[in-house]
Amino acid sequence: MTRVLLTGNGAAAWGARLARVDYVPAFPITPQTEIIETLARWYDTGEMRGRLTLLESEHSMITAAGAAAATGVRVFSATSSQGLLYGMEMIYTVAGWRVPFVLVNVSRGLASPITLESDHNDLLAARDSGFLAIVCATCQEVLDSVLLAYRLGEDPRVRLPVIVNLDGFTLSFTREPVEIPEAARAADFLPAFDPQGISFRASQPSSQAVAVLGGTPYSYFRYETHLAALNALPVYDEIAGAFEQCFGRAHPAVETYRADDADVVFFMMGAFATKAKAAVDGLREAGERVGLLRLRLLRPFPEARLRALLAGTRGVAVIDQNLSNGKGGVLHTELASALYGMRDAPLLASFVGGLGGRDIGAEEFYEMAAVTRRAAQGGVAPAPRLLYTATELREMRKLQAVAAVERLETGGGQ
Amino acid sequence: MSEHVIQRMKDLPSTHLLGSGTPMCAGCGGLGALHEIYDLLGTRTVFVNAAGCMTLLSVYPFTPFRGSWLYTAMASAPAGAQGVRDALDILLEHKRIPPEDDLSTVVLTGDGAAYGMGLSATSGAIERGLDFLYLCYDNEGYGNTGQQFSGATPHAARTSTSAGARGYSGEKKDLFSIWTAHRPVYAATVIGAEPLDLAKKIEKAKRLTGPRLVLALAPCPTGWDFDPQQTVEIGRLAVRTGIWPLKEYLDGKVVHTRVPHPRQPVEDYLKTQGRFRHLFEPARNEALLGEIQARVDAYWANVE
Amino acid sequence: MYRIRFHGRGGQGMKTASRILGSAFFREGYEVQDAPRYGAERRGAPIFAYVRAAQRPIHERGGIAQPDLVVVADETLTPIPAAGVLAGVSARTVLLINSAESEDAWKARLNYAGRIVRLPGGGETRERAETATIGAICAGAAARLVGRISREALALAVDDEIAALGREAAEKSRERALAAFDALDFAEGCVMEGEAHDARGYAAPEWVELAAEAALAAAPDIRAVATSVEVRTGLWRTLRPVIDYDHCKGCSWVCSTLCPDSAIQVDAEGAPRIDYDHCKGCLVCVAVCPPHAIRALPEKDVQQAQEATA
Repeated sequence: MTRVLLTGNGAAAWGARLARVDYVPAFPITPQTEIIETLARWYDTGEMRGRLTLLESEHSMITAAGAAAATGVRVFSATSSQGLLYGMEMIYTVAGWRVPFVLVNVSRGLASPITLESDHNDLLAARDSGFLAIVCATCQEVLDSVLLAYRLGEDPRVRLPVIVNLDGFTLSFTREPVEIPEAARAADFLPAFDPQGISFRASQPSSQAVAVLGGTPYSYFRYETHLAALNALPVYDEIAGAFEQCFGRAHPAVETYRADDADVVFFMMGAFATKAKAAVDGLREAGERVGLLRLRLLRPFPEARLRALLAGTRGVAVIDQNLSNGKGGVLHTELASALYGMRDAPLLASFVGGLGGRDIGAEEFYEMAAVTRRAAQGGVAPAPRLLYTATELREMRKLQAVAAVERLETGGGQ
Repeated sequence: MSEHVIQRMKDLPSTHLLGSGTPMCAGCGGLGALHEIYDLLGTRTVFVNAAGCMTLLSVYPFTPFRGSWLYTAMASAPAGAQGVRDALDILLEHKRIPPEDDLSTVVLTGDGAAYGMGLSATSGAIERGLDFLYLCYDNEGYGNTGQQFSGATPHAARTSTSAGARGYSGEKKDLFSIWTAHRPVYAATVIGAEPLDLAKKIEKAKRLTGPRLVLALAPCPTGWDFDPQQTVEIGRLAVRTGIWPLKEYLDGKVVHTRVPHPRQPVEDYLKTQGRFRHLFEPARNEALLGEIQARVDAYWANVE
Repeated sequence: MYRIRFHGRGGQGMKTASRILGSAFFREGYEVQDAPRYGAERRGAPIFAYVRAAQRPIHERGGIAQPDLVVVADETLTPIPAAGVLAGVSARTVLLINSAESEDAWKARLNYAGRIVRLPGGGETRERAETATIGAICAGAAARLVGRISREALALAVDDEIAALGREAAEKSRERALAAFDALDFAEGCVMEGEAHDARGYAAPEWVELAAEAALAAAPDIRAVATSVEVRTGLWRTLRPVIDYDHCKGCSWVCSTLCPDSAIQVDAEGAPRIDYDHCKGCLVCVAVCPPHAIRALPEKDVQQAQEATA
C-alpha cells in the first residue's frame, strides 16, 4: 500500500483501475475530464486492460455503459452536472435493466445560470432513478467508494448501477494524501465480474429491456428495483465491514463525528462536511455539545440508522447544498420524513448554502448551531435560512450595476 | 443463416425466422422488410432498438426474435450498439467467451429517430467506425404516435400535423447522402416489395465490417392511408415511378441497382394513398403534382 | 350512472362511437366521461372504449368493471379472452352485438343471463372500407337503448364528432346512426343505470408482501425465443386468405416472402401453408399471388362453415 498525493479525479481513476474495469464509455465535461484522460492513458500504456470509447454525448455514453454492462463486462463511466442531466433519460432507463456499473459524478451547479463549481442538485436529479448513490467527502473516500460501489452493485441481492459522487473543485482538483491499495488486495475484495446470467450471447438469446403494457407488469418491475435498492442497505453494511477488515478504513452509511453526546448536530453530505468537522471541533472547544452526521449513502436512504443515531439529539441543523425551487432543501425533506412519528424527534432547522461553490464559513457553521440550539429550546423550527451575507449582496449590487450599464450601452434601455 | 449467394427469387428462404404474432399493423411494410432481412441476417444478431413502432415488437413476455434484442431509447440506439459491440470485442479479446458466442449488432430504427433525434448518435457511431448494420424502416412520419410529419416525410404528404391543402411543406431529407458523406463501408436503399434486390444487398452488407446503412422504405397502411393488401404494390410503384431509387454505396461509389425504364408517372404512386388524395380531389393540383414529378425527373437526369 | 363499454377492433371506430355517445349524453345535460383504451395493438386488434354518463359530477376513472351496456361491434371478439368483452357482466347488463345470428343463438352460445339486442344493419359492413361507419351505428343503437337521448341530440353529436372527416362521411354516418336509433324503438330504455360501489361488505384486496427477487427474473427480459407465437394475431382477421391449391403454381417464395407476418411457411412438398393462428388478414398474399390462386373470404363465413361441419 502506498500513500500518495492524488486529486479526487485521480482517486476516482485509481478506483476504476483497481476494479479492473473492462470498459469506459466516456465524454468530457469540466470538472470530470481528468478522470477519463487518466484512464485513457492507462489503457494506452497497457497499465489497464480493456477499452475506452469516447462517445458523442452523455446520453449516448450512459446508453453504451448500460448496453455493455448488459452484455456482461465491468463498466465504469464518469460525468458531471449538465452531462448527467443530458444523460438523464438513460440514467432512469438503465437502472431498470438491472445491470450493475459505476458512474462517478463530479458535482457541479446546474444551469441556469451555467457555472462550474459544486453543489448537489445534479446528483439529486438522479435521486429517484434507481441508481444507488454514495457521496464522498475526501479523495481517499472516492477511491474506496468506487471499489465498494462495484461490490455493492454487483451483489446478487442488489444488481443495480451505483453513482459515486464527489464535489467538483473541492475534491476533483484538490490533492490530498490517498492510500492506494495493492492490486492483489483490491482483487481479493472485489472479484472478477460475474454477469449472473444477464448477458448477450449467441448461445443464449435474450430480449432485454423490453416494453410492458399495463400497470401490473410495470409496477412489478418498478417495485422490484425499489426492493433491490432497499436490499442494498444491509448489503452495504456487510460490504463496508469487509472493506474495513481488508483495508482498515471504515466507511459507514452515515458517518458520525463527535455526535454521541451531542445535543445539536449538523446533517449534510459531501466535501463541505469536513468543514463542519472543523466547526464541531471549534464549538466543542467553546464548550458546546455539537456533532456531525454525514450522509454517505443517499440511496438507499439509511432511515432506521438515522433514527437511531438521532435519538436523544435535541436539534439538527440540516445543511443543504442544493435547492428544490419552491420547496427548499432536499435533505431537510428527506430527514423530516425519516423522523416523522418518532417519539422525541429532534427539531430540524433548514439551511441552504454552498450553491455553485459558494463557501460556508466557520462563523456560519457556528451560527447555524446557535440558531438550531435556540430553536430546539424554544420548540419552534425557524424559517428556512438561505445563507447569504450583506457583503455578498453588496458585491452582487455592484455586479448588477455593471450589468445594467452593459444593457444600456447595447441599446436595450432608455 | 443462409450462406449461399442469392441470385434468383427461388434462392430466397422459404422458412422464416422472425416469429409471427407481433403487434405491428396488418400489412406493415416495415415488418415485411424486417422479416425478409432477418431471414438473411440470422439469429446470431442482437437488435438494438430505437423508440418507434417496432419498440412494440417485444412486449413482455413476447418477442418475435430467435436471436437477441435490446431496447434503448429514441436518440441513442447506435450508442447501445456501440456498448454491446465493445463489450463483445472485449470478451472475445480476453477469451472470456468463445468466438461462436459472438453476435453481430444491428440497430433497428424508424425514420423519426433516424432522420432526427438519433442523427447525432448515428453520426458518432459512423465516425468511430462501429461495426454495425443500421436498419431504418422509413414510413415517412412519426408512425407510432399517429403519423405526424418527420424529417423523412415527402413534400406535399398529408400527415396529422400537415393536414392542410398543400400537405407537408418541407422536403424529405436525404439520409442516404448524409450517411455516404460519412464514408461508411456500405449504404443501400431497399424495399420489402423487391425482395431479390433487398436480399442481394443484405448478403453484401452482411459480409462487410464497419458502419452499414440499410434504408428501407416502409409503406404504411395506417399512416399513408391505403388498404393493407396494397403494401407490396405501392412499394413496387415507389420503385417504378422513381420515387424510391434502389441504390447502393460501396467503395466510394453510388450505383443504382434498378433504373426504372420507362419510369411511370409519379401520380401512379401518389394516387394509391390517402395521404396524397388532396392532390387529386376535389380538383387536381397540377402545380404540386408537377413539382413532385419535376423533382423525381431531376434526380434521374443526374443518374441516367 | 350509466357505464357503457364498446368493444371492437382497431380501425372500426370504437373511439368515435364512444365520443358520439358521450357528446349525445352531454347535449342532453349529462356529465360525461368518454375515452378509448389503447394498447400495443394496431388496426385489426381488439380494443375498447367506454362512456360514463350521470346527472352528477363523475368521480370514477379508468376502465369500467361492471358495465350496464356492452356494445360488441365485432362478434368474432366474443371468444377472445384478451378482448374481455364479457368482463364484469351480470344479469342486468345489456349486450348489443353486431351479428346476423339471433339473440337466442347468442344467449345459448354465451350462456348469457341478461338481455341481448342485435345491432341493426349488422353484417352489412363486411367491406373493409365500410368498417369506419360501424362506430356511428353502434353509437346510434346505444343511444336508443339507454333511452335518455333524443334523435336530434344524436344527429348533432354525430356531426360534432365526424365533421372533420368531410361532409360525405358525416352524412353517411349520421344516416346510419339514426337508422340504428330508429330500428331499436322496441328496446328503448332497456339499459338501467348502475349503482355506486358499496363501501359496506366489500371484499378486501389480497395485498401481498412483495419480496426482492433475483434480478434475472425481476428484469424486464425474455430469455426465450419467438414467444410472440403465443399471441394469436389470427384473431384480428376479418377476411381470410384461402389458397386454391388447384391453381397454386408452387412459386411459394412469392407469398411466403412477401407475407409481412411470417405467416406463410412452405411445407416439405413446396406448397405454401397459411398459419391462420397468426395471419392478420392483410391480404398482401391475395394481391401478389401471380396465378391469382388465393381468394379472400369473410372470416365469419368460414368459421360458420367450419362450425357446421363440426
